[in-house]
Amino acid sequence: MSDGAPIYLDYAATAPLDPRVADVMSDCLRDPALQGNPASVHAPGRAAAVRVELARGQVARLIGAEPESIVFTSGATESVNLAILGAARAAGNGLRHVVTARTEHRAVLDACRQLEREAFSVSWLAPAGGGSVDPGQVARALRPDTALVSLMHANNETGVIHDIAAVGRLCQERKVTFHVDAAQSAGKLPIDVDEMGAALLSFCAHKLGGPKGVGALYLKHRPRPALQPLQFGGGHERGLRAGSLATHQIVGFGIACELARTGLATESARVRALCERLWSGLQAAAPLARNGAADPSLPGILNVRFPGVEGESLLLALDGRLATSSGSACSSATAEPSYVLRALGLSDLAAQASLRLSLGRETTEEEIDRAALLIAGCVHRLRAALPAGAIEAIA
Amino acid sequence: MNESRASYSPLVRELFERLPHSGDLAPGPGSVVHGEAVALDRGAWVRFEARIVDRRLADCAFRAWGCPHTLAAAALVATRMHGQGVDSQAAFDARRLAAELDAPPEKLGRLLVVEDALFGMLARALALQLVPACPSP
Repeated sequence: MSDGAPIYLDYAATAPLDPRVADVMSDCLRDPALQGNPASVHAPGRAAAVRVELARGQVARLIGAEPESIVFTSGATESVNLAILGAARAAGNGLRHVVTARTEHRAVLDACRQLEREAFSVSWLAPAGGGSVDPGQVARALRPDTALVSLMHANNETGVIHDIAAVGRLCQERKVTFHVDAAQSAGKLPIDVDEMGAALLSFCAHKLGGPKGVGALYLKHRPRPALQPLQFGGGHERGLRAGSLATHQIVGFGIACELARTGLATESARVRALCERLWSGLQAAAPLARNGAADPSLPGILNVRFPGVEGESLLLALDGRLATSSGSACSSATAEPSYVLRALGLSDLAAQASLRLSLGRETTEEEIDRAALLIAGCVHRLRAALPAGAIEAIA
Repeated sequence: MNESRASYSPLVRELFERLPHSGDLAPGPGSVVHGEAVALDRGAWVRFEARIVDRRLADCAFRAWGCPHTLAAAALVATRMHGQGVDSQAAFDARRLAAELDAPPEKLGRLLVVEDALFGMLARALALQLVPACPSP
């Protein structure tokens, strides 16, 4: 981020566009030879299609897939909706049951709620205190009429990683379609869709330094899961996602995936070290506690609660100096606490006293040290004004 | 998780930044009274303390847990109550605080907690004045 800008620790919400990606996208937008519709058969169309297919290969390589298994969408939310609604509606044969977890992203929760409105039955698994769903829970939830299991690879609020491969094996044994929401983990953890046993996998560009507005759904090539499209009008993406492809967005997505893949090991280690440095620096704001298990977890997410501190006040105290997210909805009368943190067993007040700090490509040691000092200072200032006993009461 | 979406008036920002009169009363003469209101479910916990000298609030301080509007309201009340007579009806009810701070309607419940704490303190201050002084030996 630029000088004078707040320290940006909200990479789990979105990552700043990588300048290298921006350059390639800009070139693509300006290049007169790439202005055709990739679906057109004339030369400009074919040139654009070549770039789209190059990007498709780059996107596929990030997850160990074949290019023809990638469907481009507008983002992870659309991919998730296409996967869940599309697979469940296409299942047929009386398969009317879906398994997912209470700590999934809203895109998954809301898509599953829509299925409930369509008379599907949904099993909502509750994670253990550390935040992970045990594969045994999934095994116990499976039924003869289960059409789909949908589970996230890594949680967007706590960073907790699920044992996706174990769930994938289970689903393969039981011949159940398995969808993985990898919006947070793609480009940050090694992903091999075959090892995961995933039939469907959703992810997007903007979490890994690519542009907003483009994502992908992986569909296992053989056997290909049955999927009903959600939109119609042109037969693009093998009839699964109608609409002209946005060449520059897709090209940017491809480059972002390529950069993430080639730098994954070193960048993950660097970001994990920064996260631990931040956790260490935040000890100056004790008492504090980490939400969700620290291991295994994504390298760049640290969810921390500060007993006695009100989340909205902490955010305002940090306003203009640190960009991050809190565990509550700030302007509501009830200060809605994070459903993910509540599912982990936290009280509403503890959830509201939490911050999600998420690090990424441009985060530096100097920023981490400054952020820790800043947060600790704000926490101390708010605690200094607390009534006696508030820290214990609001833990 | 949610980024900060609330908007705050310049007065709220200024009071929140400084939190004037937060903490404890400085030592001094007179009697100390307090008023406290706790409503964790509404998101506020406020305690006022005042030093009473010659039927006036010679000093007033607050401690609070809550959103920026709650803290700003408590700071505003503590600042304005300084020097007021104990029998002056509180100039700050929740609706007046909400208007002055330009607080959104959904924050009224929290400002009522500020009002409750203030009224509790003033009731104690008034009661203190009604207790006849012990005759000197």
